[in-house]
Amino acid sequence: MERSPVIELKHITKRFGNNIANDDVSMEVYEGEILALLGENGSGKTTLMNALAGIYYPEDGQIFVRGREVNIHSPRTAFDLGIGMIHQHFKLVDVLTAVENIILGLNEKSRYDLKAAAARITEICDRYGFHVDPFQKIYTMSVSQKQTVEIVKVLFRGADLLILDEPTAVLTPQETEKLFNVLRNMKADGKSIIIITHKLNEVLEISDRVAILRKGKYICEIKTSEASVQQLTDAMVGHAVTLNIDRPVPVDPKDKIIVEHLTIRNSDGVAKLKDISFTARTGEILGIAGISGNGQKELLEGIAGLQKIESGSIRFVDDNGKETELVGMDPRKITDMGVTLSFVPEDRLGMGLVGNMNLGENMMLRTFRHSGGPFIDRKEPFHLAKRVIESLEVVTPSVKTAVRKLSGGNVQKVLVGREISSSPTVLLTAYAVRGLDINSSYLIYDLVNQQKKQGVAVVYVGEDLDVLLELCDRILVLCDGQVSAILDARKTDKQQVGLLMTKLGGEAANE
Amino acid sequence: MNKVPLIHVTRRKDIFWVRAWLVRIIAVALALVVCGVITMMATGLNPIKVYAAMIDGAFGTSRRLWMLLQNIAILLCISIALAPAFRMRFWNLGGDGQALMGALGAAASMILIGDKVPNWLLILIMIVVSICAGALWAGIPAFFKARWNTNETLFTLMMNYVAVQLVAFFVIVWEVPKGAGKIGIINQNSNAGWFPQVGGQKYLLNVIIVSVLTILVFIYMNYTKQGYELSVVGESEPTARYVGIKVRRVIVRTMLLSGALCGVTGLLLVGGTDHTLTTTLVGGRGFTGVMVAWLAKFNPVFMVITSFLIVFLQRGATEITTTFGLNQSFGDIITGIILFFIIGCEFFLNYQIHFRKAHKEVA
Amino acid sequence: MKNFKKISALLLAAAMVSGMVTVVPAEEAEGTQVVAGLICLHDENSTYDLNFINCFKEACEARGLVEGETYYITTNIPEGQECYEEAMNMVDRGCNFVFADSFGHEDYMIEAAKEVPEVEFCHATGTKAHTEGIQNFQNSFAHIYEGRYLAGIAAGMKLNEMIEAGDITAEEAKIGYVGAYTYAEVISGYTSFFLGARSVCPSATMEVTFTGEWEDETLEKEAANRLIEDKCVLISQHADSMGAPTACEAAGVPDIAYNGSTMAAAPNTYIISSRINWVPYFNYVMDCIEAGEDIADDYTGTIETGSVELGELNEAVAAEGTAEAIAEAEEKLVNGELHVFDLSTFTVEGAAIESYQADVDTDAAFEKDTEVVADGYFHESEYRSAPYFDLMIDGITLLDTVF
Repeated sequence: MERSPVIELKHITKRFGNNIANDDVSMEVYEGEILALLGENGSGKTTLMNALAGIYYPEDGQIFVRGREVNIHSPRTAFDLGIGMIHQHFKLVDVLTAVENIILGLNEKSRYDLKAAAARITEICDRYGFHVDPFQKIYTMSVSQKQTVEIVKVLFRGADLLILDEPTAVLTPQETEKLFNVLRNMKADGKSIIIITHKLNEVLEISDRVAILRKGKYICEIKTSEASVQQLTDAMVGHAVTLNIDRPVPVDPKDKIIVEHLTIRNSDGVAKLKDISFTARTGEILGIAGISGNGQKELLEGIAGLQKIESGSIRFVDDNGKETELVGMDPRKITDMGVTLSFVPEDRLGMGLVGNMNLGENMMLRTFRHSGGPFIDRKEPFHLAKRVIESLEVVTPSVKTAVRKLSGGNVQKVLVGREISSSPTVLLTAYAVRGLDINSSYLIYDLVNQQKKQGVAVVYVGEDLDVLLELCDRILVLCDGQVSAILDARKTDKQQVGLLMTKLGGEAANE
Repeated sequence: MNKVPLIHVTRRKDIFWVRAWLVRIIAVALALVVCGVITMMATGLNPIKVYAAMIDGAFGTSRRLWMLLQNIAILLCISIALAPAFRMRFWNLGGDGQALMGALGAAASMILIGDKVPNWLLILIMIVVSICAGALWAGIPAFFKARWNTNETLFTLMMNYVAVQLVAFFVIVWEVPKGAGKIGIINQNSNAGWFPQVGGQKYLLNVIIVSVLTILVFIYMNYTKQGYELSVVGESEPTARYVGIKVRRVIVRTMLLSGALCGVTGLLLVGGTDHTLTTTLVGGRGFTGVMVAWLAKFNPVFMVITSFLIVFLQRGATEITTTFGLNQSFGDIITGIILFFIIGCEFFLNYQIHFRKAHKEVA
Repeated sequence: MKNFKKISALLLAAAMVSGMVTVVPAEEAEGTQVVAGLICLHDENSTYDLNFINCFKEACEARGLVEGETYYITTNIPEGQECYEEAMNMVDRGCNFVFADSFGHEDYMIEAAKEVPEVEFCHATGTKAHTEGIQNFQNSFAHIYEGRYLAGIAAGMKLNEMIEAGDITAEEAKIGYVGAYTYAEVISGYTSFFLGARSVCPSATMEVTFTGEWEDETLEKEAANRLIEDKCVLISQHADSMGAPTACEAAGVPDIAYNGSTMAAAPNTYIISSRINWVPYFNYVMDCIEAGEDIADDYTGTIETGSVELGELNEAVAAEGTAEAIAEAEEKLVNGELHVFDLSTFTVEGAAIESYQADVDTDAAFEKDTEVVADGYFHESEYRSAPYFDLMIDGITLLDTVF
């Protein structure tokens, strides 16, 4: 290669206590290329990029920018060197407009001139082919719009190396395609881009080169044109992996949860679900597809008794066919009625688990009330925690480790492990594999399938359409809080689902 | 070329407990050294003598030891009262007012029915009234928090002032003699409503009661369902709701407990030792208790250590100002420096400091 | 890093070892050697406490006592259990004479006295020594009403000067008074002050307001300002901070101080002050202890014992002839020609007083128990040291009586 590297990392080492997050990593990024950074959870991708962005300071190693050694000890230094990072969690002030957010914290001597800034924003947008209204408030924006603001913010500050941490996790296929077009335009303009992602087909689609990390170590780099999904997976995991999702045919499906004309408003009075009707059946996985924020959360929380229901009915059918109305019940009442309902919520550490409590104490959450007397039984939950650690291969120093100290995949294993330990009859999961590496994801798919085989009615809210299409028996597509369609997953394709997600009923919604 | 940062600070993941205590001990040692230097510079006194006087003031005689224990007991009582609320992330800054209300309840019983009922019944009534008064004072902000999500920090804080004014009002109502603006010792001759002395030691009963309460609160917070519930609510309300914990009920229940224990603190002051009611009876212990609880990370057992530390410093400070004829502010300065180091060392427990290794310059 | 650790360990060890060695001051208590302790409600920022501290130091040092060895002063002790604790601490320091300076300390001093009979516990302004019957607990005060009366003469002279100069009319000669509580000590104080003023300026009237605190600079300053706004042309106070003097200095209104001179802080408005000089009492008690004699339950200092004193006279502000007028009245007070609470000089609700039962023995019901009027005057501070004059005489308006 004749091109000169924009960034060179040499022997970067970063420790957290006794854990080595990056172990002697060396790599470079060239001008005008898109580099995909690939690795399992906890392999050190984000840490490495944070070192570039000035958030972490490595103990050892050197960083060169255009051949010059630099010390990046703060995000500002990173900006000054033309390095900008778009984080997984957006760092925007909701009540401000796009332009205000973009110039926020800029330390220019010049006047506070919103108009000039807005003009520059429009210019940047035109150049790379995206659209932002500079004067729109952040809280009125969709996720993809917010992401665009983050990218513009970085470009506005003159970045010519952009780092994107899992940018597509929150986007629809159509939005992803748009983003990729923008990235290609930036590449053509000579910018360098590092993209962190788990979705291997996207890696193949967008990147020029793939760098793979495993357990903090730099494993190899592969030219994308010469790579395959299987090859990347094996390199990432360290051994050969089978990438097939099982889909057994449902055995004797019976109605378990009947939802009719369900309407739910959020605390601001906005209708998040409008007149939804569907049925979840035993031994079947019902997938819920939709752009995030289109009522998925409300739907699952509504069934679980966590949302105030405006109108409609949610009925649980027991083995004898007797129907029980769940509307108006809180989670405790639902449990007391003998309805064994498990729920893996989207916000694992904010709702499903308590981050500061250890594994055993988190196991207690569901069962602590079951023992008699005022005292808590600590033994059984800790046994359960040990069983979950063993059966789901949770990587943790001990059962007494705070859950927040575990990696994302292990957190999810703990949560799912607890939820299925009560042998539920209904299992609700929201974005069960979000942020999980490929190994953990397949383990979760297996667990969900096991539940299905045991006759559990599974409702699976997902974002990766490829997975939904492979895993589910039926797919309910939500659009703007309404049922866009309920499809047979074996007979539909990604394009159709994508369309139904963005347009109610879709145009090509023909069977 | 950018400047190489000489030191770099990162968050620690874990710290071995031996090391943590070593850091704390070093902090105390450093604090003593700094205090010594300041003492010499400001007063010309030998710092060793000053420390000796502090220790003498706290432990010098058996009476001082008992008074130290009594003051620890009262501070500890209000601190363990705050602990459940704080574990629930309910910032109860109203310990002072709640204890004062408890004291008001006990004093009212002693004054109003002191000569009308037998002593055992009077003490029983005092216990009930002061616990209810403290619980009420905590329950009001808790109810508002649970119902309308009002800011508990401000609410509990303001309730302190209401309590002080209420007490000021009743002090005038019950003042002896007329116009004196003070109640003085209640039932000084009949001793009605005074707690019995245990083992001939006037402070022993309070110490025993608070020790038992500390153990009970420790058990409550760590081994009971209610204790577990309030921890979950504190960590994450959505999680609590998700597992079917009734968040509002837990908030109100925990605060009633917190206020009741504060009320007990007031009761112990009025019935056990002071036998009076003044607006300064609790003396800011509701706020000192916040510091005790924080330093001990809401663990009632550690609070024994932290409340000992603070009471020791206070007594020591009073002693040196008296022994060496210094202004009271000097004692406060010493206390302040020592606390600064102790609280400051938490930084070194949470963060690690790296010194950048000098490495070869790149041309 | 390693060296640093070693050094810290050494320092720590040194600190711990030194901490263990408790230095006990060598004390040869021979039974008659006085070791004295003073407990103050506030510190030297309060004029009231400063007066005690200064007198105490003077008396102790005059007989060769050394602070921190044979005499001790503790400040900022609230009127609660803390007073008892500190009294006991004084005992542990080896004191055989403990004195508390605030009215609210009394009950706790009694508790301490009950517990340690071999130590003398004395208390200023208290009321219970003669009824409690505890041998080692005593009250003390002084005929400060006489000092107030003399200071009042200076006030009356000043009013006369203002009337003559045409600054005010005779009817506008209104005095403002900042009091703490509606307690006998305060009532006795402002009444005697007023009677002194009226003895030279017959048209004088007075307004009194109460702060509800013995010492609160802000409240006292506000109270003084309120009185000044209310057209009071001269201010005095029975409250212990610099609040009223500084307010007067700012407004240019003449002020008569209490507990000591405030000339330094208010050179343009300070006229004179009255105070109790506690040195004679401290000497008396310490003499008794040294001699092994009993101390009187109630000690009331007088002008003759040197307990009642006037502070320096500010010639620049005071009216001409003030010093002479005061000297004349003082002589009459001493030789019994003049009585402050002469029944012929005041009326209550329009009528002269002929007989009065005062609440001398403290009890919760405020029972009036002692006839204190005889020979044409009210016998203040004779049946006990603390004042018990609590009549509301005509000519004085109380603005508020909540406290």
